[in-house]
Amino acid sequence: MKARLLGMCLALGAAVGVAAGPAGAADKPISGNLRIVIGSSSTGGDTYQNAAIVAEALSKKLGINAKVDAVGVSAAFAAVTRVSDGSTVMFFHDQSYLGHLLGLKGYPDIFKDLRIGPTVSINPGDAFVGAKDSKLKTIEDVIQACGKGERVRVAIQPGGVSEVYYGALKNAVGIRFPGKEGNLVSVKTGSQGDKNQLLFDRQAEVIHGSVQANEQYTRLPAEDQKAMRFLWLPSPSSTISQANPEGMGATGRDELLKFTSPNVHVTLDGKADFTFDKEFFFLYNKKMDPKAVAYLDKALSDIFAEGKVQVTLKKAFFIPNFHPSKEAAVYLKKKAEQSKALIAATR
Amino acid sequence: MDALSFFTPMTAVLIFAGVTVGIVFGAIPGMTATMAVAVCLPMTYGLNIDNSLSLLLALYVGGISGGLVPAILVNIPGTPSSIMTTMDGHPMAKKGEAERALKIGIVPSLFGGLFSATVLFFFAPPLADLAIKFSYVEKFLIILFALTIIASLSKNLLTGIFSGVLGIWLSLVGTYDINNGGNGETRLMFGWMEGFLSDGFSLLSVLIGLFGLSVLLAEAEKGVPAEATSQFKLSGAKTFSLSVFKGQIGNLIRSASIGTFVGLLPGIGGSAASVLAYTQQKNLSKAPEKMGTGVPEGVIASEASNNGLTGGALIPLVSLGIPGDSTTAVMIGAFTLQGLQLGPLFIGEHLETWDMMVINLFLANLVMFAIMFFAIRHIVKIIQVPKYLLYPVIVVMCTVGAYSANSGIMFDVWTFLLFGLFGYFGQKMGLEVTPLIIGFILGKDAEIYFVKSIESYGSLWIFFTKSPIAMALWGLIAVSLAYSIHNIRKAARRGKQDAAP
Repeated sequence: MKARLLGMCLALGAAVGVAAGPAGAADKPISGNLRIVIGSSSTGGDTYQNAAIVAEALSKKLGINAKVDAVGVSAAFAAVTRVSDGSTVMFFHDQSYLGHLLGLKGYPDIFKDLRIGPTVSINPGDAFVGAKDSKLKTIEDVIQACGKGERVRVAIQPGGVSEVYYGALKNAVGIRFPGKEGNLVSVKTGSQGDKNQLLFDRQAEVIHGSVQANEQYTRLPAEDQKAMRFLWLPSPSSTISQANPEGMGATGRDELLKFTSPNVHVTLDGKADFTFDKEFFFLYNKKMDPKAVAYLDKALSDIFAEGKVQVTLKKAFFIPNFHPSKEAAVYLKKKAEQSKALIAATR
Repeated sequence: MDALSFFTPMTAVLIFAGVTVGIVFGAIPGMTATMAVAVCLPMTYGLNIDNSLSLLLALYVGGISGGLVPAILVNIPGTPSSIMTTMDGHPMAKKGEAERALKIGIVPSLFGGLFSATVLFFFAPPLADLAIKFSYVEKFLIILFALTIIASLSKNLLTGIFSGVLGIWLSLVGTYDINNGGNGETRLMFGWMEGFLSDGFSLLSVLIGLFGLSVLLAEAEKGVPAEATSQFKLSGAKTFSLSVFKGQIGNLIRSASIGTFVGLLPGIGGSAASVLAYTQQKNLSKAPEKMGTGVPEGVIASEASNNGLTGGALIPLVSLGIPGDSTTAVMIGAFTLQGLQLGPLFIGEHLETWDMMVINLFLANLVMFAIMFFAIRHIVKIIQVPKYLLYPVIVVMCTVGAYSANSGIMFDVWTFLLFGLFGYFGQKMGLEVTPLIIGFILGKDAEIYFVKSIESYGSLWIFFTKSPIAMALWGLIAVSLAYSIHNIRKAARRGKQDAAP
């Protein structure tokens, strides 16, 4: 009798569970799988790393299966443009609008063709790096060298934040030494490995790197062909100040602050210094249900309120920077306008 | 014993599961070791660094090794790096030596894997210093060196070179990618094609189309008999014996060294390793005319080199923070997600992780050998499946492989079909598929390194004067071409003598 009663209870429980399951899922604008496509095909880069941290937090918070798919720019834009039900979202950084501003093919106007989602984090680690045995020991040395008529080659990846940093440096040379900006020339290349190789070959005096990728190289002795030194971190000191005191590797936060404004100067207009935060944010299909947008905003808001994700982000040398969708859209639009002006000034 | 302290029952399970899943990915045409690692990477979020690297390294070794199975049994390379295995492996299978060919293949796979792991352990930092001596110029010359195989693989030199050049041309269709320092502009297409051809033709779709579908179409043209047994026998007069490696020690060491060396140069794919190793074996073989007809030395060269790649590609990863190939590029994600910084000081600062990685690599190779050696007797039965059942399954697998190659792009399936038809009709007109695919695989990298060399140095002379390494590479290119021409002439003379009454 007991066994029969237990069986009935279990069957009833299962039936309730089955009935409640789909209804519960149906109540949620996003359930089951969430595909987060990123605008990079690398799983070793900062985009994947940030996306993976956020995906894991979302999975736990919403009880869904959020997975990052490193498909690259074209495929990511295609996927998020095709799927409007909220099951596919895109995660990328400022390159998503800079590519369009720089006139690259395959970059839609994200403010017109897509819907801006929340910002999540900043990578404060972007850096301009030079060879340790070079006579150019600071970014001021680079500007002065250009002013004196020496050619300085900067290895960058075209079409993204790298090009904006280069443009800002060129702009600064032009303001400080009118007519001399042509002495700063770009060497357009691809991966971090290619940029490092150009420095090893002394085919570039400066490369765009990052604290994460190049910090160990800065600790090598000067006689090592691979030894590097930081010249400039474009992120503002207010952002880097939020990093953990231990910084990255064996280079502490205070040491890194020496390479940021106001300790180094890359002038924007002769008065203020140029600074730039590389920010990561979500992009949604234009027709995505506003309820789904609000649902993700709420979930991320709760996740950041709990505070655990900040610890994970900071451990990886990223700065938490959550702003809900509406706020993020206004902010990024303004940032894009400023970048547009800078690009126009340096072209 | 401290070095083995990481080893737990969980580690053993992960290595076994990783190798098995990797072999399955490698064995399915269109799926690769890179995909296996990418698919399983999110599973490592919850694992510690030891366990996540155990899984990923096992997937890597399994994925690279599994490619030989379809290459030998059905003449379709499971992965691009097993392309040269088809040259002699499949003819052996046709002769009723499928089981022997597979066993011959996995022994050099094991040797290549262990060889490269040993080199990785003892010489990673100095080899990384050597790797940075190879700039755009030297990398272009290595690719040019690999392209010289087109001369020795061609049945007819003129059509072979034409096919190779056509392959290079087809590889350049698409966008000159900004991720490679390009200008982001599309080329070799009309404007209306940009929607689907901006990323060019997918390598995997082209590979399985040319090797898989075109062959199936040719077989179908002959008519597929309804009998329940294949024309292939499981094992012929010759059975596997270790004596086959007598006289092949030089081939084994040279090919594994080439694989390891190519692996340590970032930006030169694994396919170049097996192409180079096969070329050198053909040039140095006592009977070069037999290579391509089903001789063990061809399988040994290809398999020792592509597994030699595994340890080689990890050298720049751990010593420079730069991945050596596409699979280690995915693997880098596991390090960054665990908060581990890769670079020139990684080994010194993370000795335990480093030891664990090398031990894992050794173990994964041994597990791969055990699984494949004992599974071969079952795997080999595939060729006894009647063709009318087997061929549709292969087409379905190839279609799935093509679709999944770039995370679900339908155009990749059309590419597979298009190149299947192109290969089928092309071969009727004398087109040579192997030179074409080698041109296709190497063409894009050749272009990037050529253009970047010119952009950096501003002169064509730099290719001859850049460094002693560049000059030595020119020497190797010249010797390789001379050998190829000598062998072609010798074969032509023999043909005339045979034809004489």
